[in-house]
Amino acid sequence: MRRPRPVTVRRLLIVAVLVLWEAVPQTGLIPELLLPSLSSTLRALIADWDKYGEALLVTLYEVSLAMLVACGAGILVGALVGGLKPLRDLLLPVFSSLYAVPIVILYPIFTAWLGIGSEAKIAFAGVYGFFPVMLSTAAGIRTIDPQLLLAARAMGATVPQQIGRVVIPASIPTVLTGLRLGGALTIIGVVVSEMLTSTAGIGYLVTRYRTILDSAHVFAAVFMILVLSILFDTFARYIERRTMVWQTAGRRERTDTADRRLTTAPAPV
Amino acid sequence: MQRLANLSAARTDAGPTAIEVAGLSHVYDGREGKVPALEDIAMTVGAGRFVVIVGPSGCGKTSLLMMLAGLRRPSEGAILCNGRPIPSPDPERVGVVFQEASLFPWLSAQDNVEFPLALRHAPRAERRRRATDMLDLVGLQGFGGRYPHELSGGMKQRVAIARGLVQDPPVLLMDEPFAALDEQTRMTMGHELLRIWSQTLKTVVFITHSLTEAVYLADEVLVMSARPGRIIDRIAIALPRPRTYDMMATDTFGRLRDRIWQQIRTAD
Repeated sequence: MRRPRPVTVRRLLIVAVLVLWEAVPQTGLIPELLLPSLSSTLRALIADWDKYGEALLVTLYEVSLAMLVACGAGILVGALVGGLKPLRDLLLPVFSSLYAVPIVILYPIFTAWLGIGSEAKIAFAGVYGFFPVMLSTAAGIRTIDPQLLLAARAMGATVPQQIGRVVIPASIPTVLTGLRLGGALTIIGVVVSEMLTSTAGIGYLVTRYRTILDSAHVFAAVFMILVLSILFDTFARYIERRTMVWQTAGRRERTDTADRRLTTAPAPV
Repeated sequence: MQRLANLSAARTDAGPTAIEVAGLSHVYDGREGKVPALEDIAMTVGAGRFVVIVGPSGCGKTSLLMMLAGLRRPSEGAILCNGRPIPSPDPERVGVVFQEASLFPWLSAQDNVEFPLALRHAPRAERRRRATDMLDLVGLQGFGGRYPHELSGGMKQRVAIARGLVQDPPVLLMDEPFAALDEQTRMTMGHELLRIWSQTLKTVVFITHSLTEAVYLADEVLVMSARPGRIIDRIAIALPRPRTYDMMATDTFGRLRDRIWQQIRTAD
């Protein structure tokens, strides 16, 4: 018997989880208060769609702006820190340690400064997502093969040409990985801050329904965040794959393209 | 200026000169103060000649090559390339091929070869044509669409050679271009390089660690001493051209190889 493909297994697992989510609460093994079934979750979601839709828009708005802040500032600072040695020596150790700090403790300060509206959440999530973007941009620029720059110089590339035609394309894969991680963190940052102190957004709905023990509505909100994060990650990975063909696919495919070539035509060494 | 004048006066012997180096010394700032890297290098490479530089590791061969390419400035001395100093890289006078092929992994072979032309904003059609011609010359017709990761080590070096030659510079500098290749590929590539050289009539300065490669390729081998690098011997390789693999088994080949080896051993 042929072994099923990993993709098939993954899909079956997701289906199994959804089926169990529906079946287990139905049998009464776990009370609906602790785990509302899939159908009651979806019913809650549909019944109050106007509320959820509104909350989703607020969250999306905050996430988009926070991502803009995180990516813009992260790439800018990362490029400076990665490209200029004095800045790197000065700032990189500081930023690396800051990355380990649970930045969520700063959120109360942000609310004190910016109020409990969207601004505080955008600022907080922006800072939260900034670090991975900044660190991987710096790493991407710092780890460029110096031979490539030397070759470009030998071919007469000016400094702007070296940056535009070598530094940027060479660091894109690492930067994109940072954007994916940073993007995921801004979603977390927005939702967490909404759950802590706020008056709108999906995170706010989670907290509100939890306080009134409306499990189906809590799960509906959780479900939405889950879908949102998965959609973002899928999109980010797609972009990454598109641009990183030469980096990842290459290593895997080198042997079999070489073999195929050998069987079809004599290739020069 | 005195040295430059001397150089011009000395250029009366046979044939035009491609590269002239006089009184070149280099000192760099190491961790423990000034380190002399190169000392009083003088060399003349006639146009169309194939000169190989050998020497112990760290003797400054690569530094010397960087200076010939205009990538580094010597502390002292003069370099003339086709009669003019070369204070900064000039791909129309000097092409460079590095040990690691240094191809841009995000560009296809064709785009890699076009890269130096694109830097100069050459028209697209002309870029295409010249790059295709170069890929044909190095034996890679039909491989232009491949990315570096889809090419073998030898093929990557072929692309690098094509890229070095695409602006038709009279001089090609090569820094251990085949060092990372396996022995068989290395031999084939050496032979291929001689073919390309004889077709294009370039002046080649080639650095290697392999004495066999040195004798097989060169018109003249320059032997350098350990740091600070000096040229301690110049050995004319009088083997006839075209070179063949059989020559490696001859006594002459062995004697030449041995002489270089003795020089390097005492120099180290």
